[in-house]
Amino acid sequence: MNASILRSTLILGLTAFVATFALSHIKAITHPVIQKQERQKQENALALVLPGYTIGEERSVAVNGGSFTYWTAEKTDGPATMKAYAFIAEKPGYSGAIRTMVGVDDTGTVLGISIIRQSETPGLGARVLEAASRNTFFQVVTGRAHETGEEPSPWFQEQFRGINAAAKIGIVKKGDWNEAMREELLQKNEVSAITGATITTKAVKDGIEEGMATLRTALEEHAKAQEAPAR
Amino acid sequence: MNYYREFTKGIWEKNPILILGIGMCPTLAVSTSVSNALWMTLAATFVLIFSNIIVSLVKAVVPSHIRIPIFIAIIATFVIIVELTLKAFQPDIYKALGIFIPLIVVNCIILGRAEEFASKNTVLPSILDGLGMGLGFGLTLTVLAFFREILGSNRLFGYTLIPGMEPATIMTLAPGAFFTLAMMLWGMNALRSRKRR
Amino acid sequence: MEIKALFVILISTIFINNYVLSQILGLCPFLGVSRKLDSALGMGLAVVFVMVMASFFTFLIYKYVLVPYDIAYLRTIAFILVIAGLVQFVEMVIENVSPVLYHSLGIFLPLITTNCAVLGVAVLNTEAGFLTGNLGLLKAVVQGLGAGLGFTLALLLMAGIRERLEIADIPENLKGLPITFITAGLMAMAFLGFSGMKI
Repeated sequence: MNASILRSTLILGLTAFVATFALSHIKAITHPVIQKQERQKQENALALVLPGYTIGEERSVAVNGGSFTYWTAEKTDGPATMKAYAFIAEKPGYSGAIRTMVGVDDTGTVLGISIIRQSETPGLGARVLEAASRNTFFQVVTGRAHETGEEPSPWFQEQFRGINAAAKIGIVKKGDWNEAMREELLQKNEVSAITGATITTKAVKDGIEEGMATLRTALEEHAKAQEAPAR
Repeated sequence: MNYYREFTKGIWEKNPILILGIGMCPTLAVSTSVSNALWMTLAATFVLIFSNIIVSLVKAVVPSHIRIPIFIAIIATFVIIVELTLKAFQPDIYKALGIFIPLIVVNCIILGRAEEFASKNTVLPSILDGLGMGLGFGLTLTVLAFFREILGSNRLFGYTLIPGMEPATIMTLAPGAFFTLAMMLWGMNALRSRKRR
Repeated sequence: MEIKALFVILISTIFINNYVLSQILGLCPFLGVSRKLDSALGMGLAVVFVMVMASFFTFLIYKYVLVPYDIAYLRTIAFILVIAGLVQFVEMVIENVSPVLYHSLGIFLPLITTNCAVLGVAVLNTEAGFLTGNLGLLKAVVQGLGAGLGFTLALLLMAGIRERLEIADIPENLKGLPITFITAGLMAMAFLGFSGMKI
């Protein structure tokens, strides 16, 4: 009886050992590729939310059990240098956390957002990433596709440009958005929700508001630390 | 041993989803687009074939009463290989398939074939069995996805079909999955009963 | 305040994001055991127990072993082996406490190991943002509880309907799986009604 338990344990242990051994090799091979990709994705997101800006430094502050990362950036426009910041907002959505890269200038106006991670319902919350593709299937198949150039940015994210993140952002249930609606909505600092995905919309909006508040505090503390150098 | 038969049985006669009724979890959730369906088939078939190979090789030395955890460990190893490979080389697909990649490890088809077939047969038939089952799984998944993507999101392979048309989103959600599969099973039953007569 | 967050998790996993009818996980046992109400109830409770225990142990292992030692990629194999062990344990307990239930559940009891929903909730716990912030472990366990209760709810509803379907006049080719799936589809549609719920 004991011999058989011993034998079973040994075989299980051996299997686990072999498995982990093989996997750690695969991990070693794929790790650098994965790292490079995540860096690339981050750079792409930063470029998207801070168009035309040169990224400065990346800073992290500890907050509420986790860490808040933000980037400084600046752009020279003739004689003036404009400062901007980017941060990652994370808030639980309908199913899982939604991660948004947000770019703001130093008045708190949003320069752009890019939703980098979400697992919302396809057809509902996942429409945050929906961008009308320029070509239809038939055009692609029969070779009559238009020159694609740059894919249009998802309307849900595009509408955040110009929103004041430092103030309360309102949500209207319009279900859609186009450039013509921009002025009216920006005046009231409102964004249009996706039909049937108010929770997702709220998660993105709350994340931006909270992230902005955390950014403010972090910047103030950083400034204070600069003024009073450590002894 | 009729090798050809071992391969083709998984496609029609013993189609895992439509006849054996296993492997349904990923089927319904992943068939929202044809692209997802094809990649899931690739991933699951890879795991199926290789775990069949290993199980077939070690079947003599594995004590019967711990064979299930051992099989699970073997399958899980290949699933992690797929996870890491997809994450590194196809990150968009990795994101699209989401939790269903690790869930390949509990796909009844893979554990089922390891237990039913690979643990009782040699390597070559096991490979063929895995290939056939994977193909059967993939075909069913793709047909399902074809209907759901077209009707539910007005797209095929990510490209819009009829510009301006509002699709029946419910097809990409759970109810659409259930209904479409019900139709396929009904069709399958009708075909089989006609054959019997 | 945190109590509200826990309540939200519970309500959303049971109704809004029901694991079977909304996230389409846990189908195999859902179709296999939902023929009779009493075995459905037994199965459901066993799954709740396994999910709660699994959520607890897998979350701890992920947060305090896998992540700190940078072996998070071993999540799948670690989780499934923990679940397999738990199910073995539950099997032994049920066999001793209620042999009747043990026999009526039959093969489906060890099959809880391959229940997508159990591994699913373990994995979803690690991706729901519970790792940072307070009460992460409690939130994970509550999510496991909610997932199990939602699964049981769906199972009981299906069993109730199937018991009636047995004596209904169904066309030959629709009997068995096809009609069950149509029923499930209708149930899923009904549960879609929860999706706009504000808590």
